[in-house]
Amino acid sequence: MAKVLMKGNEAIGEAAIRAGCKNYFAYPITPQSEVAEYLARRMKDVGGVFLQGESEVAVSYMLFGAAACGERVFTTSSSPGISLMSEGISYMAGAQLPVVLVNIVRGGPGLGGILPSQGDYFQATKGGGHGDYRLLVMAPASVQEAVEMVMAAFPLAEKYRNPVMIIGDGLIGQMMEPVEFPDDLVSEPTNKDDWATNGMDSRNAGTPNIVKSLHLDSKILNDLNLTLKAKYDRMKKEEIRYEAYNTDGDYRVLIVSYGTMSRVCRTAVDNLKESGFEVGMIRPKTLFPFPLEAIRKAAQKDSCKAVISIELSMGQMVEDVERAVQGKKPVEWYGMCGGDIPTPEEVMDVVRKLG
Amino acid sequence: MKLSPYGSGSLKINLNGIIVIVGNYGSGKTEVAVNLAMDQKKAGKAVRIADLDLVNPYFRTREAREILSRMGIDVVLPPRKYLQADLPVLSPLVSGMIRNPSELTIIDAGGDDVGATVLSSLADAFKGRTVQTLQVVNPFRPFTETIEGCLKIKDEIENASRLQVTGIVGNANLIDETTPEHILFGYEFVRRLCRESGLPLVFVAVMKRILDQIHEPPFECPLLVMERSLALPWMKQG
Repeated sequence: MAKVLMKGNEAIGEAAIRAGCKNYFAYPITPQSEVAEYLARRMKDVGGVFLQGESEVAVSYMLFGAAACGERVFTTSSSPGISLMSEGISYMAGAQLPVVLVNIVRGGPGLGGILPSQGDYFQATKGGGHGDYRLLVMAPASVQEAVEMVMAAFPLAEKYRNPVMIIGDGLIGQMMEPVEFPDDLVSEPTNKDDWATNGMDSRNAGTPNIVKSLHLDSKILNDLNLTLKAKYDRMKKEEIRYEAYNTDGDYRVLIVSYGTMSRVCRTAVDNLKESGFEVGMIRPKTLFPFPLEAIRKAAQKDSCKAVISIELSMGQMVEDVERAVQGKKPVEWYGMCGGDIPTPEEVMDVVRKLG
Repeated sequence: MKLSPYGSGSLKINLNGIIVIVGNYGSGKTEVAVNLAMDQKKAGKAVRIADLDLVNPYFRTREAREILSRMGIDVVLPPRKYLQADLPVLSPLVSGMIRNPSELTIIDAGGDDVGATVLSSLADAFKGRTVQTLQVVNPFRPFTETIEGCLKIKDEIENASRLQVTGIVGNANLIDETTPEHILFGYEFVRRLCRESGLPLVFVAVMKRILDQIHEPPFECPLLVMERSLALPWMKQG
């Protein structure tokens, strides 16, 4: 299929349609509002529904309701909006509902600013809402990758009966790149007769399905949490995705970076290579599960003197990088968190000093 | 095809007065407006450019402010402290610049009918003045892949802005993946659009490095030869 030029937010909306999602509930917030604008036009063409909620809290329970009925459903928002949805997201995880969430992150905390940020790493990977739950979190570094991750997110959410989040800094939503929508990522919704409240007429069952997250019996609740834990452990075995860049030979420093920031780092790695200074990079594509083993191995290389986490946050991912490196090499952090993005030259200066 | 009345039959762009740049969201209005300002400044004109894009939070004319200012182009923007606000801030200087236009005054509007709505609030300032409203078209963007799509956007923009589109600007591209074939397809596309709408093809925008790869350029309209101005962070030098 021929490529088209699309803004990240538009491409995310189109990818959801191509993935067979006909239900989109959202509330506008910069820098992701173009998803809603795009789908307000497009959902009509495909016989789908775009409903703007009264607030993100309302949206989160629209998602819960549609997913409980067995429908493919997704939302997009930005940082403060995801904070408002966090209660509902915890309920979705507790009720084991497949929902796709997209967070186009803006600067924080609070109202922050509208420029790119990766300040929601903790919120996405360590909770946000209450209770023992995890999201499967994917972080694209290009508009094309955002398309592929959104299309892959729906079957993954159904495989685990768990919410999946795509997290992109503001630039992923706002920049334009040529994209195509791979046919091999088109998928059919799975059969949900075993658990969804999708009506008694179409399935052979004597008892109604009930979708809920309230369990007052201590054993039942403990068993639910063990079930959830088993799912998260399975994600750690089966879903880790990352890209290794310039790690085949020797390198003096290992960068760990994701999303837009990793593209700046890639330019820095290329420029440093030209000057004879070798740097390797691991780019996590999934933030949960995190590529601990890949980073641990890459850091172990004898030539590697230090590891640095470069991110658009004040050192949130660096804690996971430290967990991976296990104290075997020094782990440093570099980043910005006001909306500006470090230049390749700034990254090069920081990295040179480590090796 | 109607020959452009602006180009006087030559391949050089020669625009004067008030030019309003409109088009669908992401058609490349800002890239065209910024490069047009630089092109006409180099041709010796006094140029002023205003950023009226109140709907797009990133990649606005304001990003190119420094380059334009260094060239001696007068850039009209909201006060600096509001530059990153996701609020519609319309500088009062804009209606002033319409009432007292420079030799060439370029107004870079926001995308779609939503972005063009702000132009209607300047209707009083526009009254009695000749305004050329140019619609930028990229057939590789959603909603403008067909002639019908372009005409629909044109109607929506005209209704929202209370201005009539007076000419077409071709801007076919896939940014870094643009090839000569895309440019030639886009040229034929805007020629068809002009035939069907009766509007003149004012110019076609093309990146210099792509133009250099076209061996026998077929263009019978002026060309805006562009250098990229709104680069992404990983492409920035120094």
